[in-house]
Amino acid sequence: MSTATATFSSPPAPVLGRIPGNKAIWVGIYCELTEFALMFIVYFLARAHHPDAFRNGPQQLSTLAGVTNTVIMLTSSYFVARSVMAMRRNARSTCLKWLTAALVVGLGYPVVKFFEVQWNVANGLSGNGEVFQMTYYYLTFNHLVHVCWGLLGLLYVMVRTWVGAYDAKDHAGLEAFASYWHATDLIWLMIFPLFYVLP
Amino acid sequence: MHSERTLTLAWLVLLGLTLIGSAAGNASSPGLWVTVAVAAMMAFKGHVVIDHFLELGGAHPAIRRLVRFYATALPVMLILTDLFGPQIARLTTL
Repeated sequence: MSTATATFSSPPAPVLGRIPGNKAIWVGIYCELTEFALMFIVYFLARAHHPDAFRNGPQQLSTLAGVTNTVIMLTSSYFVARSVMAMRRNARSTCLKWLTAALVVGLGYPVVKFFEVQWNVANGLSGNGEVFQMTYYYLTFNHLVHVCWGLLGLLYVMVRTWVGAYDAKDHAGLEAFASYWHATDLIWLMIFPLFYVLP
Repeated sequence: MHSERTLTLAWLVLLGLTLIGSAAGNASSPGLWVTVAVAAMMAFKGHVVIDHFLELGGAHPAIRRLVRFYATALPVMLILTDLFGPQIARLTTL
């Protein structure tokens, strides 16, 4: 094994200061967090200016859709974490099974979103300029875009796992994807109570 | 690194809190304490994801601190918005 290979194929050691995945994915995650931070600031300012619109807002939305998508994000994220654990044991086939489960569950997110928008439009939430609706569509659609990127990333790491590109010593790519998926899950856990729960 | 059992427990706790929190939130009337409870749950769930899914406990401080700050600052901002909404609105009116 060459020095370069040894450097890049080091297993994730449980030591302080390690970078989960790789530096590049964390640049991307920082960008994602910054983008959503700006949108959350818009949310807080809009809430400060229009408190009544935001207090009445959650009653207009489908709580079932919000809860279902939260369960989907958490479960898909859990399956991805299990896939990383399996790869650490060099159980490639088990890893692929967890990733497949994560994809199947994760695909439910855009499906639920599609039916949620249908339900919204039927109930008069067409994004007609009302401040709560606009903020809701602005944040949740942007999150949907990030979920779709994540699903494509998930397909990519599934193919890489299938062709044997990862093993117990070298699976930084898989861990990088997992970090992105968990960060997207984390953002949803911030969005969900703001729009669907908080009266 | 976490055991599979710990991870599964974290996932179940997150699911349970989601179901309980949404049911309780929808049954509540607006008020500061409801906002504080929702913000506390946001922060707790965020930190569970950070510690058990992202496994940032042993990560580089630049990553660990920023992500933990994120999951703490947003709930605090929510409480501040409810506490000082009129003042914030006045300060940000053009």
